[in-house]
Amino acid sequence: MKGKCYIQGMAAITPQHTFEGDLSQPLVVTHGNMLSCVEPDYRSFIAPNSLRRMTRVLKMGLAASLKCLQDSGIAVPGAIVTGTGKGSLQDTERFIKEIRDYEEKALNPTPFIQSTYNAVNGLIALQQKCTQYNNTFVHRGFSFEHALLDSMLLLHEGTPDVLAGAFDEITPEHFFIKGRIGHWKKEVISNDALYEHVSPGTISGEGAIFFLLAPTATAQSYAQIGGLEMLYKPSPGKLKTALPQFLQKNGLQVTDIDLVLTGANADSNHAHYYEVLNDLTHCPQLPFKHLSGDYETAGAFALWLAGQMLKQQQIPSQWFPMLQQPPARLRNVLIYNHFFGEQHTFMLVQAV
Amino acid sequence: MAERVFITGLGMITAIGDNVADNLRSLRAQKSGLDFTRQLDTIYKAVLPVAEVKHTTPALSEMAGVAGKEGYTRTALLGLIAMQEALQHAGLDSLEDESTGFINASTVGGMCDTENVYFDIADPEKTGDFVKYIDTLDCADCTQQIAEVVGINGPMTTISTACSSSANALMYGARLIKAGLVRRVICGGTEALTRFTLNGFNSLKNIDKRPCRPFDNDRNGLNLGEGAAYLVLESESLVKERNATVLAVLDGYANTNEAFHPTAPSPDGDGAYAAMKTAMEMGGCTPADIQYVNVHGTATLSNDVAEGMALQRLFGENVPKFSSTKPFTGHALAAAGGIEAIYAVLAISHQIIFPNLHFKDKMQELNITPETQLLEQYPVRHVLSNSFGFGGNNASLLISKYEG
Repeated sequence: MKGKCYIQGMAAITPQHTFEGDLSQPLVVTHGNMLSCVEPDYRSFIAPNSLRRMTRVLKMGLAASLKCLQDSGIAVPGAIVTGTGKGSLQDTERFIKEIRDYEEKALNPTPFIQSTYNAVNGLIALQQKCTQYNNTFVHRGFSFEHALLDSMLLLHEGTPDVLAGAFDEITPEHFFIKGRIGHWKKEVISNDALYEHVSPGTISGEGAIFFLLAPTATAQSYAQIGGLEMLYKPSPGKLKTALPQFLQKNGLQVTDIDLVLTGANADSNHAHYYEVLNDLTHCPQLPFKHLSGDYETAGAFALWLAGQMLKQQQIPSQWFPMLQQPPARLRNVLIYNHFFGEQHTFMLVQAV
Repeated sequence: MAERVFITGLGMITAIGDNVADNLRSLRAQKSGLDFTRQLDTIYKAVLPVAEVKHTTPALSEMAGVAGKEGYTRTALLGLIAMQEALQHAGLDSLEDESTGFINASTVGGMCDTENVYFDIADPEKTGDFVKYIDTLDCADCTQQIAEVVGINGPMTTISTACSSSANALMYGARLIKAGLVRRVICGGTEALTRFTLNGFNSLKNIDKRPCRPFDNDRNGLNLGEGAAYLVLESESLVKERNATVLAVLDGYANTNEAFHPTAPSPDGDGAYAAMKTAMEMGGCTPADIQYVNVHGTATLSNDVAEGMALQRLFGENVPKFSSTKPFTGHALAAAGGIEAIYAVLAISHQIIFPNLHFKDKMQELNITPETQLLEQYPVRHVLSNSFGFGGNNASLLISKYEG
């Protein structure tokens, strides 16, 4: 597949102050292993009567998508493609409980409707009257990445622009459930000290992040998505050969990379995969999950970070106190992330 | 020039058969799979008919060849059975020689099993065996379980767009092939009945207490079903290389959105019309080229009006034969698009049109009626297969006879 893919607009609702796209905001420090989003005032995006009915991740998803469209100056995108690991957890949990509590009788259908994984997509389409292609991927650490691949295919096929995004939320109940299978650290920590606590598990997070993608660059472009690679449960050997192959396929050598954003999350069960980056010692490697927490679609947050850094040509030092020496130039950013060792992704993000 | 996408293998399990041959036999015998549930724990056990696969979950794990192994939900087992048949049908003993993708579809993943233990899972006071189901709460689990058994080694993901999920999986797979990213992809969906979805549709007052009657004036909703269906898609070059038998061609597809209402279609069927028209045109067909439409035809009040209006708008006075096969299989949600795509291939390869069961009276709003007879030796070359879902998601596939 040939063809270019540029980020023409972005918006992110995350556990950091990201909504206005201002990289000078202070680091939000949360004590406890569950990071929650800093939510914007939704009233400037969503009508009050709609707002009342909507649950949290629907609001987050819709507001982030609308802000992204505003940022890009495009009202009606040529397609809407999203990824989500969990959809609207609050609605799923509520409907399961209501089935039990009301013994399957006289149930309110709203949580059922909103629990549908493509509910956010439908809302965006409805609000913007977007009658074109609409798809939702729900595959853990490949949810956002396949949304991105689908978007790149669409651009390649001639769609003028695509709204691509990711959304996931965490609830206390689900935090507890995933804790039972070892997702989170046993010790209670603060996100700013994440990397000092290398032990089994990590910290949880959430986010709603959208991008407007187009095949041609303009003055407003944030960055170019140069390459994308997904590997399912790769062996260490496979992973080790896949990285240079990925760079080579995109016409780059290891030394062309100016910055690596890594999904390293201080989880000792799955930390060894990041050894694949040991050959990239010539440039800074910055972990990002102390900012976002870990969740299925955290890769979207890394892409947002890369896009902001490349456009603004700066790395926010208050968010990355581990950065010793800023890179001399910021042209090629490599993202490597995996979700609990299962879904591994490489992304190449380049300055325009 | 993008390669053509060929269908080279089929595998399925539904309430009317454990494999493709059994499904065809039941379709020909006009035998509905609707009955009351034997597997589901619900107060609607003897009230709401469903099209349930007639095996217990342990029996399914035997059929799938994973008896005694833990961690397979009913969703994963149904999928695994259909997947194994599809690979065998395509003559693929092993996938090692060719990067093979898997695009699956699911609406609620392992909910069929997790809903029975959810409150134990969420209760800090409780410990036990149920913890093994935690990883099956999402939609990716079934996909990965199936992929790992058969050795999928290419792109893998899961799509969830409600009732159109597996039609979108087929479309995405075809597009990956056309873009040259992979030469073989297995696409479809799997769905097990759950209390969650049964109560969901029932709360929307969308379920008929009688066997559903699509396109009938007296219809009153759908019946849910379960099952799984996968189609092996291969590029023309790979088919030539390995001298595979082509069953049909996936010639066109479209995904449009209505942007009308979260759960209801527009009365004029704008989304259905646009999806069918775009899919047809992509395959270079005019309305006169279509011999059969396997309609979404859920028998809900609003779907059948919208879809019928769309058919009348698209085909005018000459609406081709059309029928809903949901009275046979129930509405198997994420598996429906895959099941019906297989029926479209069968319609072509056996020159047959399936009857729309339980139809009596023409709908007031429409001029057209579905085919109620089994038609054998009917010249079928091009079939449209419709799948429409919540969120205004409309998908249509054009499946054509392979003529070289």
